[in-house]
Formats: sequence, structure tokens, C-alpha cells
Amino acid sequence: MLNELLLNLARWLDSQSWSTSIHESIYLYSWIETTHVLTLMVFLGMLFVIDLRMLGAIFPNVPASTIAQRLDKPMMIGFVVMLITGFLLYYAIPVRTTQSLWFRIKVVLLIAAGINAFLFRAKMQASSNSWDLDPIPPKRIRIGAALSLVLWAGVVITGRTIAYDWFDCHKQLPYFMYWAAGCVDEMAALQ
Amino acid sequence: MDLYPFFDWLDTSLLADISKAYGGVFAVVQMFHLLGISMLGGMVLVGDLRLLNIVMKDIPSEVVIENTHKWFNVALVIIVISGIFMSSAVALKLYYNTMFWAKMASLGAGVVFVYAIRRPLLKFDHDTIKPLTLRMMAITSILIWFTVAASGRWIGFS
Repeated sequence: MLNELLLNLARWLDSQSWSTSIHESIYLYSWIETTHVLTLMVFLGMLFVIDLRMLGAIFPNVPASTIAQRLDKPMMIGFVVMLITGFLLYYAIPVRTTQSLWFRIKVVLLIAAGINAFLFRAKMQASSNSWDLDPIPPKRIRIGAALSLVLWAGVVITGRTIAYDWFDCHKQLPYFMYWAAGCVDEMAALQ
Repeated sequence: MDLYPFFDWLDTSLLADISKAYGGVFAVVQMFHLLGISMLGGMVLVGDLRLLNIVMKDIPSEVVIENTHKWFNVALVIIVISGIFMSSAVALKLYYNTMFWAKMASLGAGVVFVYAIRRPLLKFDHDTIKPLTLRMMAITSILIWFTVAASGRWIGFS
């Protein structure tokens, strides 16, 4: 049901001339993707600094909250650019991306990373007074930071593997994999 | 100096056997390459944006530069090691790829810039350095490393 809905949405996007134009333009598509990768340096780069501080591995003499607050804005700027370029990349190749197992895992990881960031922020604001000046923050904060790095690493690798066709719909796959990737027609053919 | 023999050797090395045979291993190494880029970019940007007085204005720039440089080194090592592994899968193709050489040239420029210019200069008290010099250096640094990353991505398009 959800698979059909997503596929129909993707087909509708695919039928738009702008989607085709971006896909078929050598330079525009490449530059959107390059911008998407370059903003890794802005968004994930800033996140690295913040999370490494929470792990006690950088800026031991600067309060953890200061690092998090000062880098919040540039990090979010990077995130917004990533989101926009990411949407344009999806918009340019909607059907294949919708039916990409990797893209689906990436979206799930993105949501998980978002929830973790939200909880982490709440936990930090509630308790930072007690450990803000500690060179190495308490264990629960370190676990949150490590989880954040692992989840974002997962987002990066699944983002990269979208380009591989290992589990594309045209491959011979078990029914479960077709379902997970949303290969609606292939599922119908197997039934 | 023709580096062809090196690429020829790399193409048939043990590394190439692994990187060509196992797509999964290649993808994982590529992940480290991308994470290395993010880390390096983050360290460069935080340091340079501080020199430009854009972020962390209330933290002395000496402290920011000192802390970010350590992790810059770590990131560079991750990038170079994973990069050599990735090159081994397509060594001969890279040898004939203009973008690859553009990336190597900008990477070389970046390494020389960091270790021969930026690092030695920033060891001095930053108040004794002309603000214009600091700003020019920060902008140059950002431009170089963004060029390295962008030309790296374009190897795949060319």
C-alpha cells in the first residue's frame, strides 16, 4: 500500500519536465551533487567538532555548551543546503531512488539521527550545568555523541551506496527484498 | 617525472585485488573517505571561520587553531589511506583522468599550504599578525580545500 503510494508519487514527479531537465543536464546535476557532498564538510564537519567535544576529544578547556551553541548556526546552514540539494537529487531521479533499498535505509537513519539529536539536545540543556566545564562529559552524554556519529556515518554510507545497483528492482531478488525496496511490479510478477 | 610505473604497480597490487573483487569493502572504505573529508572540512572551516571572526568569537583563535589542527591531521591520514585503497581499484583509469590530477595538484597545494605556511605562521600570537593576513589566509584555506573536495567528486563525473 505504502509502496504503491510512494511509487505513484515518484512517477508523478518523474513526469514533470523540470525533473527530466535536471536529470539530463550534465553540469546542473553534477553541481547539485557536488554541492551536496561539499556541504558534508559544513554540516557533518561542524557536527564532528561538537560530538568530539562531547566525547572529550577536542577543546577540553572550552565549555561543551559553548562549542554546541557557537557552531549550531553554521551547522544548520549546512544542513539546510544539504536538504535542498538532497531533495533536488531525489527530484531528478525519483523512481529509481524511491525503489532504492539504500535510500530507504538512509531515510530511516536520518529520522533516527534527528530523534537522537533532539533527545541529546534536551538531555544536554537539562544537565549541562553539572558537567559543562568537565574536559570529559559524563557517560550518557558520550553515548549520545557516539550514537550521533554512528548514525550520521550510516546516513553517509547509505547515501553513497544509492549509486550501486546491487539491489535494484531489475535484479533477481527474493520477495522480501522486492518489498523492502518497493519493487511493486516485480512483487506482482512473483505472486 | 612520469608516475606511470607507480599506477601500473598499484593496478596489480594486493590492494587492487581486494578493491576490485569486493564491492562491499570498497564501499566501506569510501565511507571512511567521505567521513574523513567531513572531518577535515569541519576542522578547516571552524579554524578559518574563527580567523574570519565569524564563529566562536569569544574563544581565543589560538585555542581554536590548536584544537582543530590535531583532528585535521587525523582526518588527512584517514583520507590519504582510504584514497590510496580506492585508487587501486581504478589505478590506470585515474592515471589518464585530468580531474584526478587536478585533485592531486590541489591536494598537494593544500598540504604545502597547511604545513609550510598556515601552521608555522599561526604559531605566533595572532594579535601580532595583521588582520588582513589572517583573513586572506583563512579564505585561501577554505578555497583550497573546497577545490580538493569538488575536484575529487568530479573524478566520478569525468
